[in-house]
Amino acid sequence: MKVAFVTPRYGAEVMGGAESAARQLAEHLVAEVGAQVEVFSTCALDHITWDNVLPPGDSVFNGVTVHRFASTSGRVPEFYELDARLRMAPAEASLEQARLWLEFNGPVTPDLVEALRHSDAEVIAFYPYLYYPTVLGMEAATAPRVLHPAAHDEPALYLKVFDATFSGADAICYHTAAERRLVQRRHRVAQLPQIELGLGVSPVIEGGRSGGDVLGIGDRPYVVSVGRVDDHKGSSMLAAFFRTYKKRNPGPLALALVGPVTASIPPHGDIVLTGAVSEADKCDIVRDAEVSISPSALESFSLVVLEAWELSVPVMVNAACDPTREHCERSGGGLWFGSYREFEVVLQRLCADPGLRTRLGRSGHDYVDRYYQWPELISRYARFLTAVRGRYEAARA
Amino acid sequence: MLSDDPGTAQEGSSRDDENGAARRYLDEVRAEIDDEVRRRRTSGDLPPNLERELDQLFLAHSPLGGRGAALRDMLRLVDASVFIDPVVPVASRRPGGTAIKKGLRSLNLWYLRYVTHQVSEFATAVSRALHVLDAQVTDLRRKVDALAVPPSVAVDVAWAHHPDAWWVEVVTGELSGQSGRVLHAACGDGFLVRALVARGVDAYGVDPVERVPGLEFDPLDLRVENIEEHVGAVASGSLEAVVLSGVVEGSGYVERRRLLGGAVRGLGPGGTLLVHSLTPAAWESDDAPVEADMVAARPYRPRTWIGVLGDLGLDATVTEGPDGRDYLVTGRVAPRSP
Repeated sequence: MKVAFVTPRYGAEVMGGAESAARQLAEHLVAEVGAQVEVFSTCALDHITWDNVLPPGDSVFNGVTVHRFASTSGRVPEFYELDARLRMAPAEASLEQARLWLEFNGPVTPDLVEALRHSDAEVIAFYPYLYYPTVLGMEAATAPRVLHPAAHDEPALYLKVFDATFSGADAICYHTAAERRLVQRRHRVAQLPQIELGLGVSPVIEGGRSGGDVLGIGDRPYVVSVGRVDDHKGSSMLAAFFRTYKKRNPGPLALALVGPVTASIPPHGDIVLTGAVSEADKCDIVRDAEVSISPSALESFSLVVLEAWELSVPVMVNAACDPTREHCERSGGGLWFGSYREFEVVLQRLCADPGLRTRLGRSGHDYVDRYYQWPELISRYARFLTAVRGRYEAARA
Repeated sequence: MLSDDPGTAQEGSSRDDENGAARRYLDEVRAEIDDEVRRRRTSGDLPPNLERELDQLFLAHSPLGGRGAALRDMLRLVDASVFIDPVVPVASRRPGGTAIKKGLRSLNLWYLRYVTHQVSEFATAVSRALHVLDAQVTDLRRKVDALAVPPSVAVDVAWAHHPDAWWVEVVTGELSGQSGRVLHAACGDGFLVRALVARGVDAYGVDPVERVPGLEFDPLDLRVENIEEHVGAVASGSLEAVVLSGVVEGSGYVERRRLLGGAVRGLGPGGTLLVHSLTPAAWESDDAPVEADMVAARPYRPRTWIGVLGDLGLDATVTEGPDGRDYLVTGRVAPRSP
């Protein structure tokens, strides 16, 4: 089967949930099912500016053929004013305003859209719903279209410009049941063929050092939060909560924020900012943590939660984030907090009770083992794509 | 894929038990945590200003529609912002800047204080009104909860919901050769969807309860979803047929109307609504599903459906089962006018 992916950024350097997910699915389809996979993407690495930094043209990366197209414009300064105006009542914005929002947000890629018209892929997967290549590409595609929305409860989801994107899909692939409920509250697409897939967890690559050594804190116990250290990801909130926690609960416990830093986190003796680290260091740090915390309210899947469970580490998640909370509820592998009060009680309880940590970590591990192993997951996805193609051909016949 | 391998089924069942135990344990721990949070909240061990500031930080990046986002949480944000401070900060990085700012502040303070006082008064009044509203809504919700009718349930009746049941043959015969999408709710373990797919029908199913492990649903497009929500999220005119079984018996009058209205809206011109139901007598009998005792609803008598579907613009007929315990209603939407 020949599958095409359309995603606004692509490559090992790209840090982004949806784009990384697209790359993982593409590469696993090649490696495990022997599918022929091509990707239509831009020359951008930055999801704010969409600057063309990579050369346009074709290349092959891990068995996947990548077609890169330069964008004619990225996010323009006018975007911010329009976004601020529309985000108060996005559903009330006119279609024209919403179209303008889409163009101002970038990346505007007419060449990519044109190339899609001529693709000979048997099925085209679009990932995520939010950008120009998906919205315009879905209109241009001539093969069956599978939409991976990667949606969370954000103002843009309510803009009318995306109505046709959802209703025009031939099938939808969700990360979680929570994402499906969110999308179906907004768009009448329940009748479309769909699957709850998520992503697989890659085998653990440990570096063989203790997490405390990697962090430079010796034997101190610590909790960890992995991912971009960013205000929108809840990192500043987590740091503030932790500072208050330490004032009220003195002791050796530290917090490690592991990932590229874009937020301004005030220096604190108990908070370690590592910046980007290697996969091996990340594994060592997470494995020895008491708890892994996902403070973000805006996740559509959260691989870091599953990676912690793969290492049998219990998690704490933001109660307002339906997908991560759903992972915890379904697996019994973690707890959630919806205020500082809850944060404090949950963290105290987890730190004081090794039996609870072990039990939650084990339940999380079983959940990952059952639902999120790549070989099974990619077989399900391949079967789903084949069924979508078959249904499309039957309809044409 | 629905597993026929007993080994796999046993393994799946033992895993389900373990998973159920993990969820129950989590519920217990959560209940203890909730109690402790409540206890500490009433003890007032955290300075209110600090708690407000931290809650504000939490809510700043929370989706409004997210779970746990109550009006009271939003009000904390409002409360934290009602006071408008007229005393402008004067710190400056430039030499003399602080003195200049101080001078300007002194000159303008009487004016700013007058304006901000009125804005703060207004904001306080709005906040109080919202608190009153919140108290009234909370009280109302408590009363409504006490009066609430239990939600409708999908009943699984062993003698009626299986691939060899008499009505399954009727439904598959009716829908064979249809090219459009067909929904079966509640689909159970997929017994009808499998039969329809085998006849080349583009069928899928929805059930509010996970009757078989979720992953095994995939090849048949069977989903675990609330049926009424699902029907509400179907695009208008997008379905060729809707089959309801085990759904209408246990749903109340309003829910039943809403469900049927949604199903008919989802049907295209010439579409078919098929409703399988137990008879009132079967619902009252000893071998009726336990839900018969738990919900404030009973099945319609067969002829009632003629009027109910007639009101929705459908032309309906009823086929009674061989032993009088169940029946199948077929309602047809008028075809598109030429």
